Amino acid sequence: MNHLGDEEMVELYYGEGTSAHEAHLKACRQCSAQYAEFKRSLDAIAPISVPQRNAEYGDRVWTNLRSQLIPYQKRTAGWRSWANWKTVAVAACCAIALAAVFLGGRYWERFATKTTAVAVNPQAAQRVVVVVLTDHLDRSERMLVQLEHAASNDPRDNTELQAEARDLLASNRLYRVTASNAGDPQMAGALDHLEGVLAEVANDPNLSAADIERVRKDMNTKGILFEIRVLRARGSDQESESRTAKGATIL
Amino acid sequence: MQESDHSIVQAVLAGNKDAYGALVRAHSATVFRVALRIIGDEADAEDVVQEAFLRGYQRLESYQGRSTFGTWIYRIAVNCALNRVGQAGIKAEFRHGEESDPQDKTVQLAAREADPERVLLSGEISAAQGLAMQRLTPTEKSAFVLRHLEDRSMSEIAEILEIAPNAAKQAVFRAVQKLRRELTPLRGNA
Repeated sequence: MNHLGDEEMVELYYGEGTSAHEAHLKACRQCSAQYAEFKRSLDAIAPISVPQRNAEYGDRVWTNLRSQLIPYQKRTAGWRSWANWKTVAVAACCAIALAAVFLGGRYWERFATKTTAVAVNPQAAQRVVVVVLTDHLDRSERMLVQLEHAASNDPRDNTELQAEARDLLASNRLYRVTASNAGDPQMAGALDHLEGVLAEVANDPNLSAADIERVRKDMNTKGILFEIRVLRARGSDQESESRTAKGATIL
Repeated sequence: MQESDHSIVQAVLAGNKDAYGALVRAHSATVFRVALRIIGDEADAEDVVQEAFLRGYQRLESYQGRSTFGTWIYRIAVNCALNRVGQAGIKAEFRHGEESDPQDKTVQLAAREADPERVLLSGEISAAQGLAMQRLTPTEKSAFVLRHLEDRSMSEIAEILEIAPNAAKQAVFRAVQKLRRELTPLRGNA
């Protein structure tokens, strides 16, 4: 067996060496002498004596900290009320748009049946959905790329990023719920991950470079960016398939 | 303790802000100890304690109870300390020998006579150790402190520093190598 290297000695010193290394150490005088010197040098590195902290210290930390904390219910309620307001507004807009599309469609149908024999194309509605979702994924991808490169400590520089995140957050929630109801776990999962990032960025009152770095690290934004790109590629494929199928559905 | 910590976390998340005080009181001494060992400065270590508990509170919703609250907040504290170490002007203090006097910060070498020349030399060693520790990268320094002083296993260090176990092992190894390279010549004179 070869003589022990520094790496093996580190492992032995911290009690993580293998039995083969331990056996070698006992048998080899040269390694044994080297290890004794190695051990002496590490034993000599002693910590600073940590001053004892009694129960009063905990009280002191808590007293200093308490005023900085916002109770969870209030914070969640505030966020929820904002989210609810946004959701209601978006839902109302969707309802109005749907009603307009429905009425317009009926009117158009009457007008169109008199002149041509073209049937309503079911692929068209799907194409609209795919295009809208692709647009959302496009914007999300741009926002994530921006987040990857954001490095300013001045919260004012990050205002635009936060505004975009807020804007995307409301629509993202609707798409996530829709994807979940439609039985698309891949899409729902990716949008769920994205929502976490959007919420973190949108709701930080003082977004600094350190906060952004924390979000990037904690929430693995690179991974989410990859997921979004995959879904966007999938959306583009669906869109082109839908376009190809258009000719076939005209009666 | 784990169960009660978990129920306290639930109470905090339900809106009882004051319940968090119990967690702060229970774990602040441990958090202070590791912060001081990494940073080496008492005032900065106290700042890290505040910062760690504040961050912990803000991220409490992400605490899933897989580890104890103590381990979770310890991990946050190490990361806060790591960030501090990265900042300029923080000096780590490590002393040589088995005992040290916190009052006058003199260093005692084991089983030797404390003649003036030796005291001077031991002071040099102590200063050299401080400098050697400062020359380690934040990850190497934290990994070394966790392994050597906090007696954490390599897998725990990897989890705390959010790196692969092999990377944790390599960080400790590099730290040991660097410290020995810088300190062995001095120790030969002692």
